[in-house]
Amino acid sequence: MKSAFIGVALAAMAGAAGAAELGAVDEPIKLAINEWTGQHVTTHVAGEMLKAAGYKVEYVTAGMLNQFQAIADGDITATLEIWSSNVSDEYYKKMEEGTVIDLGELGLDAREGIAYPAHVEEMCPGLPAWEALKDCAQIFATAETIPMGRLVDYPADWGTPGADRMKGLGLPFKAIPAGSEGALIAELRASTERKSPLLITFWQPHWAMSAYNVKFVDLPEAEDACFTDPSWGPNPNEVNDCDFTSTTITKAGWAGLKDKWPAAYEILVNYKLSVEDQQPMMGAIDVDGGKVEEVVAKWMAENEAKWRPVVDAAIK
Amino acid sequence: MTTAADVLPSRLGLTPGTRAALVVLLTGALCLALEPVLPWLVKWPDAWTLPATQWVDTVTRWILGWLKPLARAFADLMRYPMDWANLALNATPWPVTIGLITALGWYLGGLRMAALGFLGLSFVLASGYWSESMNTLALVAVSVPLALIVGGAIGLLANEFPRLKPPVQAVLDVMQTVPTFAYLTPLLVLFGFGPVVGLIASAIYAAPPMARNVILGLERVESEIKEAAVMSGAGRLQQLFQVEVPSAASQIMVGVNQCLMAALSMVIIAAVIGGFNDIGWEVLLTMRKAQFGQSLLAGLVIVVFAVVIDRMSGALAIERRRHDPRVVYGVLALAAVLTALFWSRLPDPAEFTLLAPVAEAVDTGLGEFTAANGDWLAGVKNGAMFYVLLPLRIGLDQAVLPFTWGFAWTPGMSWAVFAAGAALCLILIWRGRVTAGLMVLIGAGMLETGIADLPWPFVLVGAAALGRIAGGWRLSLLAVGLMLTILLSGLWDRAMLSLYLSGVSVVACAVVGGFFGLWSAVSPMAWRIVQPICDMLQTIPLFVFLIPVLMFFQIGEFSAFLAICAYAVVPMIRYTRHGLVSTPPELMEAAIASGATGWQIMRDVRAPYAAPTILLGLNQTILYAFAMLVIAALIGTTGLGQSIYLALGKADVGLGISAGAAMAILAFLADRMVQGFAEERRRALGL
Repeated sequence: MKSAFIGVALAAMAGAAGAAELGAVDEPIKLAINEWTGQHVTTHVAGEMLKAAGYKVEYVTAGMLNQFQAIADGDITATLEIWSSNVSDEYYKKMEEGTVIDLGELGLDAREGIAYPAHVEEMCPGLPAWEALKDCAQIFATAETIPMGRLVDYPADWGTPGADRMKGLGLPFKAIPAGSEGALIAELRASTERKSPLLITFWQPHWAMSAYNVKFVDLPEAEDACFTDPSWGPNPNEVNDCDFTSTTITKAGWAGLKDKWPAAYEILVNYKLSVEDQQPMMGAIDVDGGKVEEVVAKWMAENEAKWRPVVDAAIK
Repeated sequence: MTTAADVLPSRLGLTPGTRAALVVLLTGALCLALEPVLPWLVKWPDAWTLPATQWVDTVTRWILGWLKPLARAFADLMRYPMDWANLALNATPWPVTIGLITALGWYLGGLRMAALGFLGLSFVLASGYWSESMNTLALVAVSVPLALIVGGAIGLLANEFPRLKPPVQAVLDVMQTVPTFAYLTPLLVLFGFGPVVGLIASAIYAAPPMARNVILGLERVESEIKEAAVMSGAGRLQQLFQVEVPSAASQIMVGVNQCLMAALSMVIIAAVIGGFNDIGWEVLLTMRKAQFGQSLLAGLVIVVFAVVIDRMSGALAIERRRHDPRVVYGVLALAAVLTALFWSRLPDPAEFTLLAPVAEAVDTGLGEFTAANGDWLAGVKNGAMFYVLLPLRIGLDQAVLPFTWGFAWTPGMSWAVFAAGAALCLILIWRGRVTAGLMVLIGAGMLETGIADLPWPFVLVGAAALGRIAGGWRLSLLAVGLMLTILLSGLWDRAMLSLYLSGVSVVACAVVGGFFGLWSAVSPMAWRIVQPICDMLQTIPLFVFLIPVLMFFQIGEFSAFLAICAYAVVPMIRYTRHGLVSTPPELMEAAIASGATGWQIMRDVRAPYAAPTILLGLNQTILYAFAMLVIAALIGTTGLGQSIYLALGKADVGLGISAGAAMAILAFLADRMVQGFAEERRRALGL
C-alpha cells in the first residue's frame, strides 16, 4: 500500500514548502473532536504533533455537521476528518465564502459500498457477486418493504447512495434510510446476534467492519461514465449501475490559521494518516477499551519516523 | 366561548356536534367521489406550494445577521459564569462535593434527603463519569438562573399588564412546542459555537414553566392581602416584591422545580452541538456504537441528577421546616477532613469503574436476548405492521396484499367496508345517537383511505369542525388558517405522516396508559411499581432506549411508534390515576350509602369526576408525542422529524424553522382542542 511510504513522501513535500514561523504559541490551537473514534485518533495524532512543535492544543467536542460555523468564526481552528460522502452544505458554503480553507487530503483510503455481515453468505450463496442479490431479494424482505428486499441505507441527511445503486442496477430492493449511525450499528449488531439477513450501505475504515465481520458486495467498478451515461454498465437504461467512487477524506481549517500559526498550518496541511495506522488504534480503543490519549501516545512513541519529519520540516 | 350559534337552537334540531360531523362526512364523501375527475382535491399539487421555506430562510438569515453582534457579545459575557461554574465544580475535590450535597439534603429534608444525596452522588462517582457530570451540572447551574430570571420577568410583566397575558401565553406555547432541534441552527449562527448555544437552548425551554407558575401564583394572591398592602401605603414595586411575590412563593417554587427539570432534560440536546465534554455527549457517543449497557449507565447518571434535584427543590417548595444546621457543619467538616487527610492519595474520579462490568453484562444480555427471541419479536412487529400501522397509514385498499393479509383487496371489499359502516351508522342513528353514527361512517372512510392519504379539504374541514366544537369559531378559524400555512409551504405530506404516527401513538398511549392509571388508582401496590418506572421514563434521555428497540424491531415505523409511546404514556398514567384517586370523599360516601358496588362507583362517580383531569393528561400525552417525533427520527421515520434533522445537517435555517413551526402548529391545535373539551367537561360538572 502506498500509505506506508506516505510519511517519507510527505517529509519531502514539507521540505519543499519550507520552514515557517511558529506564530502565536501562547494561544491554544483548537481541534474539533467529532462523534466517531477514527476521527478521535486522527485528531489526537495531529494534536500531539502540534504539541511536539511547541504549540498548545485544546480538543473541543463538536457535532460533525454543526462545526463549520465554529470554524468560520475561528472558535475551532481545524477539523481533520471530513468525508466527502457525508458533509453538510454549510461546508461548501463556508469554503466559498473563504472563511473555511481546505487543508488537503488526509490520505485515509476510505471505501463505501453495499455490505453485509459474513453469515449472510450462507443464506444467499452467490454473494459477494452482486448478481446473486437478484434472486435472494426475498430473504431480505421485511414488513416495511414486502414484496421487495430491504436495504438499510445511510441516514437521509447523508444522501441516498444505496437507493441510487438499487435503482441503477435494477435490484428488487427498497432502501430504508436509517435515522443515525447508531441505528446502522444496531442493525448490524442485531443481524449478527440473530443470524438474520441484512443488506446495508456501509463504509470503512470503521470499527464495526471487523467487529461484525462486514463484507462488501462486488459491484462493477465505478467510472465517470457510469454516473452520466445510462448505456454504460450492466443496466443499459440507468445511471449509477456501478460501485461507489472512492471517498476522499480531507482536512479543513479556519481562514486565519495560516497567519496566526504559520508552522501549524504547514503541519496540518502535510499531515497524513493511513488506514493501516488508524484501524489498529481504533480497535485498541473500541474493542479493547483503551483510552484515546494512551493509545495515541503509544503509537506516537513507536512510529516517530512517520510523523517527526513533518513537524521538523515545518519548524526547522 | 359562547356564540349566537351555541345559544340558538338549530333550525334542523341538530346539535352543533352532529352538524359538524355531517359537514365533515359530506366533504369526505365529495372528495372521494370527485377524486377521478379532480385529482387536486386529494393531493395538493406541488405547483401550488409557495417557496415558503426559502422565504423563511432569507428573512431569518437577514434578522440573524442583524442580531448577530449583540448575540455574540451576550455569548462572550455568558462564557464567564460558564467557565467559573465549570472551574468551581471541577476543581472541588469530589469528597467535598458529595459532602456539600449530603449536607444540603439534610438541611432541606432530614435524613432521607441526605441519604438520597449521598447515594445519588456515590452512584455518579462509581459510574466513572464524574467530570462529565460536573460539566453538565455547570451547564445547568448557569442556564437555570438565566431561565428563572427570564421566566420570572415574563411572568411579572404579564401580571402587571393583564393585556399582555394572551400574547405571552402564545409565546410560551411556542417556546415549549417548537422542537429544540429546529432552532439549533439559527442559534449556532447567532451565538457562535460552543456550550453557550446549549445554554441558551435549555434556557428557552426551561423558562416557560417558571413564567406560567409566576403568573398563576400572582393571580392567586388573595385580594385582601393586596388591599392591605395598598392601604398601608406601599408603592407598586413595594406591593409587588414585599407582599405579592412572597405570598405566591410556594407556587413560584413549583415553577423553580419544573424549570430545573426542564433544563436537565435539555442536556442531551445541548450535547448534539458539542463544545462541552458533558454527560449528554457521552450518551451520544455510546449510542453511536449501539452500546446499550454503557449508554444506559450514562443515562442513569442524568436520572440520578434529576431525582436528586427534583426531590430537593421539591422540599424547598413544600417544606417550611429546616433541619439542624449543626449536622450540616459536621458533614462538611468531615468531608473537608477526609479530603485533607487523603489529599495526595485521592483517586482520580475517572478511575472509578465499579459499574463498568454491570454495563458490560447488560449489553451482552441484550445481545443474547435478541438472539434468543428474534423470531417472536419479528412476529409481533409484522403483526402490528400488517394489521394496524400500515392500514392506518395508507388505507386498507393499499395495505391489504397477498404478502400481508394473504389476499388482494378488491373494490368490492371497499364497498363492503362502507356498507358495514353505513349499517352501524344507521343503527346508532335509530337509537338516537346521531353524532356517534356519523363518526363511525367517517372512521370507515378514513380506514379505507389511510391517514397519510386523506384529501386535504377533508382534513381542513375536519380541523375546522373539531375547533368549532372544542372552542368556538375563533379556534375553528385559527385551525384552518394554521393548517393552510402547512399546506402552502409544501410540508403537508410530511405533516400528515407525523400526524399519523403521533396519532396512532397517542391512541395506544391513551388505552395502555389509561389501563395502568386505573390499575394504579385501585391498587396502591401497583402504583408503587409503576411510579418509579414513570419517573425513569420521564428523565432518562430517550436516546438510550432507541438501541434495544432497534435491535428488537429494526429501523422503521414500529420502532418509532414504540419509542414515542415509551415517553408519551407517562402523563396519561399519572393524570388518570391522579384524577381517579382525588374524587371528593363526600361523593364516594354518598355513592356507597346509595348501595353502589365498587365497579359502579368507578364507572358512574369516579370516572366522570376524573374526566377533566384525564383529558388534561391526554393533552400532555399529545404534546409529549409530538416532542418525541424528532427523537424518533433518529430511528428512521419520514415525517417532519426527518425534515428537522435534514435541516440541521444542511444548516438550512428555513427548512428547520418551517418544519419546526409545522410541528408546533399540529401540537398547538391538538392542545387547544383537547383543552377546549376538558373545559367543557369541567363546566358540565360544575367545577
